[in-house]
Parts: sequence; C-alpha cells; structure tokens
Amino acid sequence: MTTLRRFCCNDLLRFTSVNLDHLTETFNMSFYMTYLARWPDYFHVAEAPGNRIMGYIMGKVEGQGESWHGHVTAVSVSPEYRRQQLAKKLMNLLEDISDKVDKAYFVDLFVRASNTTAIKMYEKLDYIIYRRVLRYYSGEEDGLDMRKALSRDVDKKSIIPLKRPVTPDELEYD
Amino acid sequence: MASTSNLLMLQLLTFLQVLCGNGGEKLLLLAEGLLKKHIASHSLHEPEAIMVYISILEQQAKYGDALEVLTGKLGSLLTVEVDRLRIQGRLLARAGDFADAANIFQKILELRPDDWEGFLHYLGCLLEDDSNWCTEQSVDSIHPLRKVLCKISPLADELFDSRISIASAFIQRLQEDSNNKLLRGPFLANLEIERRKHMHGKGDDEKFLGVLTDYYVRFGHLACFPSDVGMFLEVLAPDKKTELLEKLKDITPSTSTISTKALGQSITLLKLQVLSGNMFHLPVSELERCVVQMAQIYCENLPLSKDLDPQESMHGEELLSLICNLLVELFWRTQKCGYIIEAILVLEWGLTIRRSVWQYKILLLHLYSYLGALSPAFEWYKLLDVKNILVETVSHHMLPQMLVSPLWVDLSNLLKDYLKFMDDHFRESAELTFVAYRHRNYSKVIEFVQFKERLQHSSQYLVARVEEEVLQLKQHAHSLEEEEVTLENLKSGIPLAELSKEIPSKPLKFNEDFESRPWWTPTSEKNYLLGPYEGIFYCPKENLNQNLEVGVRRNVERRSLLPRLLYLSIQSVSTSIKENFEISQSDLKISTELKLLLESYAKKLDSTFEDAVELVTAVSNGLSSYKDFGHNLVDWFSFAVFLSAWNFCSAELGGKDADGYQSRTWHIVDSLMKKYISEAVASLESVIFSPYDNSMRTLVQVVSEPLAWHGLILQACVRSSLPSGKRKKKTGSAAELFSSPIFVAVRDSTQSLCTTLEVLLEWLKGLVNQSEESKLEAILSSIRNNGKNDGPGQVFHTLENLTSSMSSTEVGHRITEALKSWNTVDVARKLVTGKHVMLNEFIKICESKFKSLQKLKQQISQV
Repeated sequence: MTTLRRFCCNDLLRFTSVNLDHLTETFNMSFYMTYLARWPDYFHVAEAPGNRIMGYIMGKVEGQGESWHGHVTAVSVSPEYRRQQLAKKLMNLLEDISDKVDKAYFVDLFVRASNTTAIKMYEKLDYIIYRRVLRYYSGEEDGLDMRKALSRDVDKKSIIPLKRPVTPDELEYD
Repeated sequence: MASTSNLLMLQLLTFLQVLCGNGGEKLLLLAEGLLKKHIASHSLHEPEAIMVYISILEQQAKYGDALEVLTGKLGSLLTVEVDRLRIQGRLLARAGDFADAANIFQKILELRPDDWEGFLHYLGCLLEDDSNWCTEQSVDSIHPLRKVLCKISPLADELFDSRISIASAFIQRLQEDSNNKLLRGPFLANLEIERRKHMHGKGDDEKFLGVLTDYYVRFGHLACFPSDVGMFLEVLAPDKKTELLEKLKDITPSTSTISTKALGQSITLLKLQVLSGNMFHLPVSELERCVVQMAQIYCENLPLSKDLDPQESMHGEELLSLICNLLVELFWRTQKCGYIIEAILVLEWGLTIRRSVWQYKILLLHLYSYLGALSPAFEWYKLLDVKNILVETVSHHMLPQMLVSPLWVDLSNLLKDYLKFMDDHFRESAELTFVAYRHRNYSKVIEFVQFKERLQHSSQYLVARVEEEVLQLKQHAHSLEEEEVTLENLKSGIPLAELSKEIPSKPLKFNEDFESRPWWTPTSEKNYLLGPYEGIFYCPKENLNQNLEVGVRRNVERRSLLPRLLYLSIQSVSTSIKENFEISQSDLKISTELKLLLESYAKKLDSTFEDAVELVTAVSNGLSSYKDFGHNLVDWFSFAVFLSAWNFCSAELGGKDADGYQSRTWHIVDSLMKKYISEAVASLESVIFSPYDNSMRTLVQVVSEPLAWHGLILQACVRSSLPSGKRKKKTGSAAELFSSPIFVAVRDSTQSLCTTLEVLLEWLKGLVNQSEESKLEAILSSIRNNGKNDGPGQVFHTLENLTSSMSSTEVGHRITEALKSWNTVDVARKLVTGKHVMLNEFIKICESKFKSLQKLKQQISQV
C-alpha cells in the first residue's frame, strides 16, 4: 500500500524516521535541492496510509553516448516498512524512468564493499558488480560499482565487468 | 525564442511567487493571458511549463480549460502516465465530475494496485464525497492528518449501496489479479469500504471484525500493521475492540513458536492492545505481568537474530521500546522511581546488544532528561547524528531542556550549529532556486521559494535567535564590563526588542517531528509525568502545534525584550547615580523607554503593569504565593529586577522620601530570591530521583537570569558611585552618597544576594559530596525486588536471567559478547555522574556570581 510520488521540499521535514536510521546519510541542503532542481523525476518518495513516509529514492541521469545512464544516489526505507520489497519498487521506478523517459543505456550505483546485505539485495534486482573502485569511501573503504543494463543496451555491453579495479579519479562521473 | 520563453516563465513565476504569499486573481489572469499569447506564437515544449499552465488555470477554478490542455496535444508532453492521470482525476473531481474522475482513478489502480491515495480518491469520487478536494489547502503538509479526510456520502441509500458494491467488486478483482503477496492496498481497501459503510449508518461490526482479522492473518506480522489499521480501530466501540483483540489472540501462534512471522504477530497484538487503550485499563499487577511476558518473548526470540548483520534491525527490537513505554506508565501510576530506572536499564541493555537503534536513544534521552542527568541525555542525542535538515525536525528532543540547563557550552554549540544550518540555507537558497529555473523545473522554483519561507518562519529558528543572545548575556553576567561588551555586540538589545514587536504578526511554522517523541511528553511544553496520573496512556498527537503556538509566541516575545531591558536597567542606575539623582534629559529618555518595555513585558505575562507591580510586591511580602506566578516564575522575577532598576531612577512608585522609597523595590527582589531559594532547597530532598523540571530547573534559571541581572545592576550602582579620575560628582560628596538610603539599599541587597547564594551553594555542594556508593545503592535498591513477584525490577531481572543461560551457539558470538560486556552498576553510575555534571556546572555558575558579589561587598566596605 504505497503511493509513489515525486519528492518535494516539504518531505525533507517529514523523512525523519527514515533518516534517523544509521544506515541513511543526511546530506546537506544544497545536495538534496540540486537533485530536486535538476532531476526531479529521479527523486521519489513512497507514502503509506496516514501519509507516513515509508522511504525514498534519489538519483540522476548523466553521461554521454553509450555512457548515458541513470544513477541511484540513495535509496532508503524506514525500519517500519522493511522486508516488504519497497526498495525494489523504488529502484524499478527509477529504472523505468531511465529506460522509458530518458532512454538511458544502464543504471548504476555504488555500494560499500563490506555491505553484503545491500550487495545481495542489488544482485536480486539483477545488478551485477561492474567494477571495484579502490578506497572510494572517504579514502578508506572500497566501493563496488554495480550496474543493470536497460533496453537500449541491446548487446548488454554496459555490464561486462571490468577486470581490474579503478581508482576514484578514473571515474567518469562522480 | 528561448529568451522570450525564459522571460515569460520568469514573469509567470514571479506572479506565482507573489501569489504564494498574498493571493490575487488579477495576477493569475495576467499570467494566463501571457501564456496563451506565448502558446499562440511559440507553443510550449517542456512538461514543467505545461504543469505551470495547468496550475494557473486550476487556481482560477478553470478546470474545464485545464482538462482541455491536459488531454490535448500539450498534455502529451507529460510522459509518466500515472502522473498525468492523477492530474486528470483531480481536475475532474474538482469540477464535480465524480463519475469520470472515478474512472480515471480506477485506471491508476489498474496500473498501480497498491496506490493507497489513488484508492481513496477512487472511493471518494464513487461516493461523491468532495472532502479531499475542498480542504486540501487547509491541511498542514508537514503534519498531515493520520485519518482519512472524508464525510458522510450525500448519496441516497440505494445509490450508496450500489456504489459500494462497485468498489468492492473492483477491489476483489485487484486482489485476485495480483500474485504479489506483499500487496496490502487492495486488502486494506476492504477496511476502508467497511468504515465508509459505518459512517453511512450501514456498518456491520461482525463483518468489520472479520475483515480486520483477515488483514491480520495476512499482514499481522509486519511492523507497519498497527499504523495501517490504527484509524480503523477508532470505528469500534470499546467492547468490540476487546472482542477483536480476543479473536486475534486466538489465532496468534504461541509465543514459544520461534519464527519471525509468529514473533511479528505477537508484537503486533501487543501494540494493538496499547493502541486500543486496553492496556491502561489493566490493574498494576496485571500490567506488570504483561511487561514481564514481553521481556520473555524478547529473550526467547533472540536466537532469530543470531546470524543477522549488526547493521540490520534485530527481530523483536520493538519489544524493548514497548516495555519502556509501559514501565513509564507504571511509574506514572505508582510513583515508584524504580520503574523509571528499570526503563533506563532495559534500553541501555538493548543498546549494548545493538548500538544503532535510534528509537531507544530517543526514549533514553528523555528519561535521562526527566531525571536531570542531562549529560548522558546529550551524549545519546549526539549519537543520533542530528545534522543538516534534521536539526530543524529533531532538535526539539534536546534543545528545550538544554535551554534551561547549566550546560552552557553544549547549549551554545547546539544553538550555533542550528543557526548556522538555517542561515547557510537562506544564503544558498536563491542560487538553488536559480538552478531549478535554469533546468526548467518551474514547479520546483515555486516549491523552493515556499520552502525557504517556511524555514524563515520556523518557530524554532525564532526561539534559537533570541536564546542565542540571551545565552551570551548569561555567560558573561558575572562581570559588568564583559556584559557591557556583550550588550554592545548585541546592539544594546535594540534588534531583539524590535523583533518582539513584529512577533505577534509573524506567521509561525512548526516543523518539528513530534511523532518521534515519547507518549509522556508529546511536545516539549508538555510532560505528563510532572503531574498526577490522569488515567491515560495513549495520547492522540493530532494538531499539537496549534496548542503550542500561543505559548511559544508569548514566551519568545517576552524573552526578546530581555537584552534591552538589561541594557536600559544598567544605564538607568548608572546615570542616576552619576547625576546624583538629578533627573537629566538622558535619564528621562531611558526611564521612559524602560517603563514602556516593562509595561509590554507585563502584558506578555498576561497582566497590566499596575497589577504586575502589585503581584510581585504581594508575593515578596508573603501576601501571595509563588504559585500565583504560574509557570512563569522566572519571568516574574526578572520583571521585579527590572522594575526595581526603573524605580531606582524614576522613583515613580513613590516619592523620594526619607525612607528612600526608591529602594523599597530592591527589597522586593531580595525577598523574592531569598524566600524562593531557601524554600526550594528545603523541599528538594532526594536528588537522584527528583525530576529536573520540578524545582532544579527553576533554581538554575533564577540564578542564571534574574539573580544575575540584579547582580549586574548592583555592580553598575557601585561602579558609578565610586569616584574615579574620569568621573566627578557634580554635587554632594561621596560620603553623603554612601550614607544615603539608596546606597544602604545597594549594600543590603548585595549582602542579601550573597547570603542567598551561600545557602544555595552549601546545599548544592552537600548534594555533590554525598557518597557515590549511597547514591548507587539508592538506584540499585529501587529495582531490587527481593524475590517478590511485584514492583519494579522484575522485567529487567527477567532479561538478565533468561539471557545469562544462553550460549553462543544459540544467539551467536556477537550477541553473546555484547551480553558479557553488560554491567548494571555502570549504568547506575552513568546516571549519578550525569546528575553530578549538571550540579557541578550549576555550582560553577553560582560560584562565579558569588565571587563577583563578594568583590562588590569588598568595594562597598572600602568606601
């Protein structure tokens, strides 16, 4: 029982129960507002009956040529609404917009190499580990760049895993 | 073309921004005209431009025109079908075409069967109920109503029945079509349909219970079940609620069945008992038994979390929050402090097992705050990692108690961080709005402007701005010279005094997330535990901010006058003495302004100036009680202090006779302080269990504010009296002055404050010097039940006993190690230390005041 709609500024004042969770980062205002200002279709919130915020997803679309892709910046679900595949629903929405509206080639995301729970979840959603990014998180922990090909990438070239790890400065977009 | 388009959008957005604040049909008409002209010459090419156009038409109630745009060529620019359908359904419903609107919402549900809002709109349109469309504007989008907006359908019985049948059949189809076992929407929809039937006088309790039970069987194990069905329980009469709970109990698997689903259902059942109010009808002994049972369920199910990643929520985690809430209820009923201690232990214990449960941290910080152990409360607050926008929504958990605490350094950091966040955002906002504009996301442009306005009108922001300045004054109040520099930096209090005048007409916004507050303190202004048991446990939290507004407004209006009142008081006594009580032009100006501010201050205490003078005089004489000051005792004391400074210079409360009538108001201040502090000291016996808010908080405030202000005024008197190279008395010798009744009053008042502070300091030091062991023993013995089956301690001992026998193979290495590290005495010590930190800070404040008054006494005696 989920109403999915575009995230709006007032939701920043209502997502406390999601963001107090230690797994969710609370970014600075310009970060959220830049996403809202530039990619409002990639920032969605899920609401439950009683207008409770269940979770949200924020992302963007970027790149050039065959690197044109949707990117998941953050996806968070309140503890009260976990284990209901809400993250999947939100991810599917972003993938759908990347695929159908923006005609992107793939969707990607970054995850801490140690976050096995999240990695497993993304794998279940058909994301594959495309490459390892060395010391991506604060220069300490490696990140995994995971990808899922969209319909425009007919030959699924975008998800052929890279054999060697890369460093953060080798990333095309960050 | 691009530049024409940009210019047009800029103009439209400007109009709409103006409208956000004021409203104005003409501007909308103008905006519509401009757009039409533009469309005729250039058409529109961006989805956001279409949205703006539709919005302009909608705001003028031109729903037909808007629909024409939406369903025409331009509407095809909106590529997300569900979004387009939502707008179409809304426009049709607003136009009163409910039948077509219902069809559109039905389409949304066919695409997204779990869309709850879509369903509510569908049902509302079928039943021709326009509640959703008429009242939308009046609902605060930050604190939306938990219940569904609806009213009794205007349809005749037969038509109502037929529409309900249509809805039921459609929902049935959605249920059958879906293979997704997690799809709750169509099943909850049955409950909403039954609720509407109830509203229409066609309810069937048995059927309602049946549907609720079915929903429980299907989704009862989910953590969100209680919040899903909360509003539906309200339909049932108390006996029906009990019947429902019995029914659910019968179908809930035994708690000894270890499975996540069984555990989930058991927890849901317990939460429903709380939600339905049934729990609070239980006698104390039964309630205790119930809480012990919860602890048993928690322990028995610990093995379920054996292999979980430490980052993941543990199964049954919510039980400890429920236990805490009920233990606090038991404390409120019985006044046995052991229950509060037990609640603290249970939560600390839970956090030892998993460090990152924010719900425990919030409960704990309120429990520690209640007992006056503000430093551990603040530690837990810091571990919540409240930053960026969360400072606006979460600070209310900590800021209010810090504002009245002696922990000034922590308070200062809290206020600075908060103000920095807000001011940074206000600075960046224009640039971000421009980014939205540049990317042609016009709806976001308006949203950003409205959002900035909302934050600018934040009540918390207003309070923080005022309190940050007052705190600076408090921090430097031991020295007149330092205070004068501070006052100079604060522009002699003029900006805040002007702000005070603007506050009554300022719209105030409450952005706090009160949902996360514990039941016993639903807002920062309210704490049920400070009053007698009222027989309630579940407190509805709707519209709390409405009740808050008057109090907050008044308080901040009053507080914003403090810097100016202090400045004028210091000035008034200084110039009076310098001029040797000859009233000069500057005196007159100061005195007039001071009087006006005092009148205004009295008004904000809901009194007239004359009545206020009478009241402070009567209380100081013992003719009235401190209780007559109500909750604003500290403000009344401050009033008395500034009143005496004003009278010192103006002598308006009586002529300057041989008795020195001017100085009589000084006795009022001395007597108020002396009597209040000695009475408070005598009444506060047990420091460990006494709630901070009852007396200690007022003591801290009295010393940090009115007493400090009075001390500064005395310093100003003495400084002006002392001959110096720069200052020369115009008339009269120093000896004459020092033997005058006024100077005698200064001397007496200084002496009186010293004596009062001495009494307080002695008492505070006595509290701190009591043996730590005896305090620990007091805490630990409060939960020692010595084998009895009642009273505080049973729950915690159940947790300890049941887990002590659990092996690593049962609950896993991590939980075993965590349990090993637990030490009850350490938590008790944390509480004792926490109270000591607060007391020691308070002692420091008292000592600094005492020292400066001693110095003053010395100066006086050397004359």
